[in-house]
Amino acid sequence: MHGIAASQPYVIAVFLIWAGLMKLLSRRMRAQAGQTALARLTGATRAVPALRLVGLVELAVAAALLLPPVHPLDGVAAALLAAGFLAYLSYAYVAAPTSSCGCLGAHSRPVDLRAFLRAGVLLAAGLVAIGAGPYPPLAPLVLLEVVILLGLSAELDRYWLTPTRRLLVRLRRPLAALPPGDVPLETTLHLLRRSPAYCSASARLTSDVRETWDEDGVRFLVYGARERSAVFAVPLAGDDPAAIRVALVDEAALA
Amino acid sequence: MSRSTSPDPPADLLGPVQGEVSWFCCGTAWGPCSSTGKGACGTCNSGSMQHAWPNTSDACWAITRPDSCGVGLSRRTCGFRHRTTALCSGVSVVTAIADCGPQTDLFCGERSCCGATCADNRLIDLTPAAYSQIASLSTGLRPCEISAA
Amino acid sequence: MRSRRDLLKSAVLGGGAGVVAATALGSLGPEAAFATTAPAIEPGTPDPNFAEGRIRSIKENTLLVLGSNMVFHTIRVVDGTSLWKLGPVGFDQAKPGDGLYARGVRMPDGMLAAEAVWLNIVNIKGHIKNITSQTIHLDHNGHEVLCHVVAGKSVAIHSESPATSDLSMLKVSQHVQILGAWRPDTNEVDIATVFSPH
Repeated sequence: MHGIAASQPYVIAVFLIWAGLMKLLSRRMRAQAGQTALARLTGATRAVPALRLVGLVELAVAAALLLPPVHPLDGVAAALLAAGFLAYLSYAYVAAPTSSCGCLGAHSRPVDLRAFLRAGVLLAAGLVAIGAGPYPPLAPLVLLEVVILLGLSAELDRYWLTPTRRLLVRLRRPLAALPPGDVPLETTLHLLRRSPAYCSASARLTSDVRETWDEDGVRFLVYGARERSAVFAVPLAGDDPAAIRVALVDEAALA
Repeated sequence: MSRSTSPDPPADLLGPVQGEVSWFCCGTAWGPCSSTGKGACGTCNSGSMQHAWPNTSDACWAITRPDSCGVGLSRRTCGFRHRTTALCSGVSVVTAIADCGPQTDLFCGERSCCGATCADNRLIDLTPAAYSQIASLSTGLRPCEISAA
Repeated sequence: MRSRRDLLKSAVLGGGAGVVAATALGSLGPEAAFATTAPAIEPGTPDPNFAEGRIRSIKENTLLVLGSNMVFHTIRVVDGTSLWKLGPVGFDQAKPGDGLYARGVRMPDGMLAAEAVWLNIVNIKGHIKNITSQTIHLDHNGHEVLCHVVAGKSVAIHSESPATSDLSMLKVSQHVQILGAWRPDTNEVDIATVFSPH
């Protein structure tokens, strides 16, 4: 039990040092400060000084946690800081739902459930750390907690989550080509829009595709062209836009 | 502010510039548009004759970065009028700036063609009302020419 | 008696005797150059010949639509009106609750005589968060949109290449534009086209 409490200052310190250094040193984070929820809270002009101030406080608390002597106030400070994060995240979620949090690195994703879980774990760690005595930490526990917190950090997704998903997609091929069936209409339309025939007629078209049917290896498409109709004939085989033909027809005469 | 100025003169300063045009919804409307809001200028509505331009402010330019695709564009602010002409058909529409966009840098080098005419890079996004004047909404993306109106 | 489709077919492929005002050509002539100039609408203002909103009710050939700006539109659909819902569809596919955009001609009585109606059409950009069985998870402005691949309909366009129904070239974390049909009151979309820059 003592070991669990004694482990928490190290877990929290790792995160506070990361967060503090990012805020003080990352140029990208400062450049994006205006798009974080912090900017909404402090005003855009004060976002960067506020970011620096929070970074300094985080580093100071991290130093207090790591340096002896062990004091319950260290844990109190860490818990207060984590509670502050939670309050800030709640504010960001409500007041600036499209802004990123500006917590641990530059990214553009808004506050989500994982950000709340991470702040919650840090708060719990801070509360446990209040009871920490001069005991050796449990290395496997510190490692496990750090891994969980890293897993909850959207800032790091591109280093592990995105490559993992890419690998899975490569192995499982969830969008593998379906057995060839009929030519999709969109394929025909894309070819049609590139054709000189469509080009010459497009100024007169007043509707989208009204009717389409396949006959003798040719796909016919009918568009409205004011009081007339534009009929296109697109060969289903091949992809030469020049083979497409068009006619303007007076539909009233057909009736 | 070195970020906001590209070394070359903006491509649209002396004459029309060619690029891709797409459409986007704005104003708190149905579907995925429900969270979009009224755009950077606070006036954007899907039913109005409006568009998004990649260089409406320093903050906007920092997001869209057309210069990373080698395109410089002039700073134009809310309400400025551009004429967008669909290549081939020659049909055009005049709209006023209401938002920042599109994110040109994320689609660098993309090309759209009609007939033998092609245009590279996404330079403008129209509202559905404006886009549907020059092409069907179901086309999604078309080559165009943009000039000051 | 030849069917209407036979007449349209012969008009475009040639040999269409008896078809009035047909101009069957590889492409249309210079007559097309006089691009009709629609009466200019003041930039920045609403276009009276356009409507946006969700269908509240359907009566015969008329759609009653509530715009997001809380303005009601009465939209009349006729034989010459095109309807889109992941592709061209018939009027019976329009359902209350569907979102729509419509373009046509505003009549003196305020009704919009529709030339084209697009049901639930969305055109969203974002990055691919994940790809699972026939589904693309798109991050669109921080919100996840589930985009479903529809067999026989969904295609991908990689810049200049022809549209292909093989979507397996798409990668996690790349940026795309997805044109599709929204499933009303969900965060899900059926894919018509995925535009990929490369």
